[in-house]
Amino acid sequence: MLQTPESRGLPVPQAEGEKDGGHDGETRARTASQERPKEELGAGREEGAAEPALTRKGARALAAKALARRRACRRMNRTVAELVQFLLVKDKKKSPITRSEMVKYVIGDLKALFPDIIARAAEHLRYVFGFELKQFDRKHHTYILINKLKPLEEEEEEEDLGGDGPRLGLLMMILGLIYMRGNRAREAQVWEMLHRLGMQPAKYHFLFGYPKRLIMEDFVQQRYLSYRRVPHTSPPEYEFSWGPRSNLEISKMKVLGFVAKLHKKEPQHWPVQYREALADEADRARAKARAEASMRARASARAGIHLW
Amino acid sequence: MQGSTRRMGVMTDVHRRFLQLLMTHGVLEEWDVKRLQRHCYKVHDRNATVDKLEDFINNINSVLESLYIEIKRGVTEDDGRPIYALVNLATTSISKMATDFAENELDLFRKALELIIDSETGFASSTNILNLVDQLKGKKMRKKEAEQVLQKFVQSKWLIEKEGEFTLHGRAILEMEQYIRETYPDAVKICNICHSLLIQGQSCETCGIRMHLPCVAKYFQSNAEPRCPHCNDYWPHEIPEVFDPEKQREAGISKSNKKSLRSRQH
Repeated sequence: MLQTPESRGLPVPQAEGEKDGGHDGETRARTASQERPKEELGAGREEGAAEPALTRKGARALAAKALARRRACRRMNRTVAELVQFLLVKDKKKSPITRSEMVKYVIGDLKALFPDIIARAAEHLRYVFGFELKQFDRKHHTYILINKLKPLEEEEEEEDLGGDGPRLGLLMMILGLIYMRGNRAREAQVWEMLHRLGMQPAKYHFLFGYPKRLIMEDFVQQRYLSYRRVPHTSPPEYEFSWGPRSNLEISKMKVLGFVAKLHKKEPQHWPVQYREALADEADRARAKARAEASMRARASARAGIHLW
Repeated sequence: MQGSTRRMGVMTDVHRRFLQLLMTHGVLEEWDVKRLQRHCYKVHDRNATVDKLEDFINNINSVLESLYIEIKRGVTEDDGRPIYALVNLATTSISKMATDFAENELDLFRKALELIIDSETGFASSTNILNLVDQLKGKKMRKKEAEQVLQKFVQSKWLIEKEGEFTLHGRAILEMEQYIRETYPDAVKICNICHSLLIQGQSCETCGIRMHLPCVAKYFQSNAEPRCPHCNDYWPHEIPEVFDPEKQREAGISKSNKKSLRSRQH
């Protein structure tokens, strides 16, 4: 139901439970008749050398245990499904997700099963949606989703009915400004640029909403931008730099290309930045090769195990 | 997993990109969905034959089933255009909106929703919605700001605006029908033909039953003397035309000739 800020994520599990009570009853009735004979066989195996004929009381106890197991299994599946949706919805906002958030809004008292739940959720995200759930910060247990589908060629991108155009464009402009100024830009410079584009920090813009909120809260929180106080300044000044997510998702060459297009020039027009972008490309290629090599090694090790 | 006799579909990158893009857009019209499908094939599996859309979507839905979500097909209430959205099967709240809007904005939507459901026409006037601004939960909102929030709802396809009045977008109906029926069981209106939630429609002046405009169009198609299916009285309203996708595609072609890259038309 419509409640407190908690429903900003997904509804708390209780509401879910109520709804599913009826549903459970139906499936229970349907599957019980199918599964009972199987369960009794299984029970027989479990009991080991026990007498083959079960007393009525024993049969009831076993059926109850089987029912509890099925219920726990269903509850597990539901929790995994909720976690998948939670992660997708949070990722749409591009904010990194912490383990404590996941436990608070989705996992609840199944906390002890967290590793299993998140592993299954990750598998669904990979198989169904093509996203990789990556642990972004080991110390603070934060995660992000990375798109594993192959990146589009330029012609393909035009046809992509593409969603987040304007905001991405604005981010690119800010990243470009930061890059061209030697990887740091004072807050005042960023606002000056936006002012030239017709935006004011606290004035509602039809495309971006409130620019100040978009930049300070959204972009900074989503780790596309880092916001730091410049030391030894009084009154205190602040500066922006690329956030860790920008380094992961966007390359310096791409941003330089964007800036070059804006100015109708070639990237080589800025030799310092061009050299830096080339070095960045080389680093990325090396990292990619390393990752692929280790994946291949792991795969062949697994294959080796299966041969036996 | 648990024994399931239903054959589960197979996901490839074609299906994954389709899902990702559908999620990005929230809701799409059928011709857009078909174009999206062709785009996904072109990017990931150029030589394969494009599946029939219904089979393509059923395949994806069979995989989504264990996640309690599905791609749902609906029809716009005003002119019967088919639309598609990814909806949550298990939740009954407006949680999907909850991540994009602040608490007071969500409450504004709720107030507008209630006015729309209670209204006779399915529309709530901007004035009436804005008058409720003082009752909103969360941070205080001025009327000027509320006007812009309403525009945000229109842009993200939760509300439709017509001449200063607001009604629910087809997307909101698709996603929230269950929630609405459970939360407002007495105020909710139902179509006599398809038995789904009704926001806009026509009603019989004698017995009061209601029908969606596309349902009216289909039910009375080529009927010279339309009569109420419930009380048999003469149906007093203009009968709309049944939605024709061919006519729609012509309109779509002229719109998109502006784009340079187009796959061949058929």
